[in-house]
Amino acid sequence: MDLEPQDKPAAVDLHPSRRPGVPRELRPHRAKGVHWDEPERQEPNGRVLKHRGRKELPPVFGTAQPPTGLSGLLRRLAYRIPEEKARHWLTLLLADRVDVLESRLAGTGGVVALLGVSVALVIALRPRG
Amino acid sequence: MRALSYQGPYKVKVEKKPDPKIEHPQDVVLKVTRAAICGSDLHLLHGLVADTRVGCTFGHEFTGVVEEVGPSVRKLKRGDRVVVPFNISCGSCFFCQRGLFANCENSNPASDLASGVFGYSHTTGGFEGGQAEYVRVPFADVGPMRITQELGDEDVLFLSDILPTGYQAAEMAEIKGGQTVVVFGCGPVGLFAQKSAWLMGAQRVIAVDHVPERLAFAQAYCRTETVNFKDHKGEIVPYLRELCGGRGPDACIDAVGMEAEGIAHHRLIGIGLMLEAGAPTALQWAIQTVRKGGVVSIVGVYGPPWNMLPIGTAMNKGLTLRMNQCNVRRYMPHLLELVRDGTIDAKKVISHRFGLEDAPKAYELFSDKKDGCIKCVLMPHGPQARA
Repeated sequence: MDLEPQDKPAAVDLHPSRRPGVPRELRPHRAKGVHWDEPERQEPNGRVLKHRGRKELPPVFGTAQPPTGLSGLLRRLAYRIPEEKARHWLTLLLADRVDVLESRLAGTGGVVALLGVSVALVIALRPRG
Repeated sequence: MRALSYQGPYKVKVEKKPDPKIEHPQDVVLKVTRAAICGSDLHLLHGLVADTRVGCTFGHEFTGVVEEVGPSVRKLKRGDRVVVPFNISCGSCFFCQRGLFANCENSNPASDLASGVFGYSHTTGGFEGGQAEYVRVPFADVGPMRITQELGDEDVLFLSDILPTGYQAAEMAEIKGGQTVVVFGCGPVGLFAQKSAWLMGAQRVIAVDHVPERLAFAQAYCRTETVNFKDHKGEIVPYLRELCGGRGPDACIDAVGMEAEGIAHHRLIGIGLMLEAGAPTALQWAIQTVRKGGVVSIVGVYGPPWNMLPIGTAMNKGLTLRMNQCNVRRYMPHLLELVRDGTIDAKKVISHRFGLEDAPKAYELFSDKKDGCIKCVLMPHGPQARA
């Protein structure tokens, strides 16, 4: 790797007033570029999961990979569990592994069988009430 | 469009996906000119981050050209070149108003832990990332920073994450003139933390890693003393303390995170069995190495729910622990000036460049730390964009 040794840079940011993150919390003010009191809200288009502590979706959110199949059911169950509980995260990790399995089965022609199993499980495990 | 697509642990491919579109009046769609692979993308690749869904496109470090503009966007217009912070921040919530852009509460439905992040699982909002030909960027009047003509994309690419993250790590270490700082990790964030420690007046900066090429790079690029922890098997903590006069350094920085090497039981429990959130070896060493009353600054990424750490040691030593995801937007203007005046030549950390189709190869190279790999950059529209 072609890399010329450099001198140590001068201590140009020695004084705390030169450091953008000091103080840690600023006196509250809207950031440059903000021209709203409250941000406009994105319209949900498909299922977006939110954590239990949140009453409504935030003004913006991602819409990629909506939950589907058995992994989707597991994710929906996970988001019913408060995020301070370990089982929230462990259920999501399990869902991730099931998601991989589902995608591989689908890719090898097992989609019909998988759908059958998923539908049966969704019916059996469906949250009630 | 073509985009990287996660297929399960250790497997990504490039495939055709729908073009992103404007989904909120404050959105823009960018044509991506450069997208870097971050060390924290490897945590996703290795299946360590919860709610990483098959088909997800990674990538939270990118520059691009504005292709499409939402109806409420005032600052940007089609054709503008921009660099984008990895955090998606509204600029107006309780946290953004206080400068804590990484903790924005208006962009992540899935968790109260952090703001939305591009291409970083549904745990940070389910946004698609920039390792693609195009990407949707929300809150376009707040986050993206316009790139002026005299600067190339690669000059400013790392303002999106690793440069401000390294700088914030040094800043959180509360370095005063003449102090000694130990930085765990010689990946790109560790390198920028080392450089930033000099800028803040450190008298001595010591870098710790186990990859010889990375240690050599740190020595040349950052002018740091280097220590290979594999040369001090099981004795790295006393070695470092002795190196710092017996008491230990004034501050330690963890720029490694959840996939650290060095302690077998953390590897087994955290990565093999996933019974803790990765291997917190660097953080454990930082707590044990720093002098009493010192500061430990954490920018290494750890997932929920927990890690086994010597918190009693930290308490009894009277340590200050500082940590956060980087509030990127807060640092961009200052660091842009340091890049512009040549104080920091950020693009020197780029060791490999690839076209988008070769992204799986780039991930393999970076993950295995082969071929002296420090930093991989993808060029989704080829090298012709301004480097």
